[in-house]
Amino acid sequence: MGPDAGGATEALLDRARRGDARAFERLALELERPLYRHAARMLGHDDAEDCVQDALLSAWKSLASFEGTSFRAWVFRIVTNRALDRLRSRRRHPELPLDPPAEDDDSAGWAEPAAPGPELADLASDREALRVVEEALAHIPADQRAALLLRDVEGFAYEEIATITSTEIGTVKSRIHRGRLAVRNILISRGWRGSSG
Amino acid sequence: MHPFGDLSAYLDGALSPETRASVQAHLDACALCRRRLAELRGTARLIAALPAPVPSRSLVPRVSVPVWLAPLRTFSTFASGAAVFLFLASAVVSSFPRMTSAGSAPAAAPAPAASALDTRGGATAATSSPNASLSDPEKRAAPAAATASPGAAFNVVTPSPVPAPAERTVTADQAVKTRQDAGSAAPSSDVALAARSERGGDQAPFNPFPWVWLALGVTFAALSFFLGRRLRST
Repeated sequence: MGPDAGGATEALLDRARRGDARAFERLALELERPLYRHAARMLGHDDAEDCVQDALLSAWKSLASFEGTSFRAWVFRIVTNRALDRLRSRRRHPELPLDPPAEDDDSAGWAEPAAPGPELADLASDREALRVVEEALAHIPADQRAALLLRDVEGFAYEEIATITSTEIGTVKSRIHRGRLAVRNILISRGWRGSSG
Repeated sequence: MHPFGDLSAYLDGALSPETRASVQAHLDACALCRRRLAELRGTARLIAALPAPVPSRSLVPRVSVPVWLAPLRTFSTFASGAAVFLFLASAVVSSFPRMTSAGSAPAAAPAPAASALDTRGGATAATSSPNASLSDPEKRAAPAAATASPGAAFNVVTPSPVPAPAERTVTADQAVKTRQDAGSAAPSSDVALAARSERGGDQAPFNPFPWVWLALGVTFAALSFFLGRRLRST
């Protein structure tokens, strides 16, 4: 949703807040695909559809309590919360933290490539690299994954991500950095090498 | 001291101006950090380039209803009530005992019909003897008696009283023939018509209408029910 769509979205949102169900459905239609891709990367395909549909229904029912300015961020918040709840309930060992213990960000955590390989930056069209990234995302902690997806896929600003995940900006920054680092390390371990700068 | 922890935020433009300036200055001098930054940038681009999964169905909840839904449901409810009322009314009317009406034009019909009532009881229409005018009204009278209970309307099917004018042209022979076809809906003869026209409690001998009204009533009631569920689900 670019800036051009902002005016039309605002009008739809006004109507939806006043009870226009069709206006809400049109708003939801614009967000359907982004919400699904976010839920699918958080949860996997199986639960993602129900997650998004339940979240949209919940958004409609609680629309009166939406006071912010970004409807998109608000709905993403509902979806992200549902996805994290679902992940927590899936875990057989609930004592496992969603986030590993805090580390010093300046410490080693940067894996070194074993041997020279293709440059990272050139591999966006390489299916293999994308597959590795997809797999890596599924293995990093859920909170880091959520922040990373909201930043790199959905394009939210750090402040918006802080609102969506109900955390502080410092936490968002830390999660994004550690999440990216983890994905980068997995790529390196599979033989990719970062560009020489 | 490398500002590794700030590199992602630097990439995302999320640093305060002061911190950004200091990281920028460090990057200008540090090849290692430049490489790390490029790796992070490459990673972010790969994540952004992932193919988007698409849902297999629509995920937008159906929270709106067509504008005609509620009025249609109201209409359907009233139609159901009216149909049930008409069912009861036609069933009650058809169960009234026949009254002899001496003054009507083909008056021969009701009189033997009355006697036929006593003798036939709940006999069906498709009896064997195709005869002249006498048995004709008898056959018609018997089913008329049979319709004392609405269930007997199934035994014989009679055309409704509505297409009245056309029926007068039908001959008695044709009427007899059709009477022998159980369940046929041939137009009735003059006599039957006259019999029906006497509203003093006389009912048309073969009247499907109780059941038609009941079927309509049930259909409209079902429609109201499902429309109501759709309205409540939003």
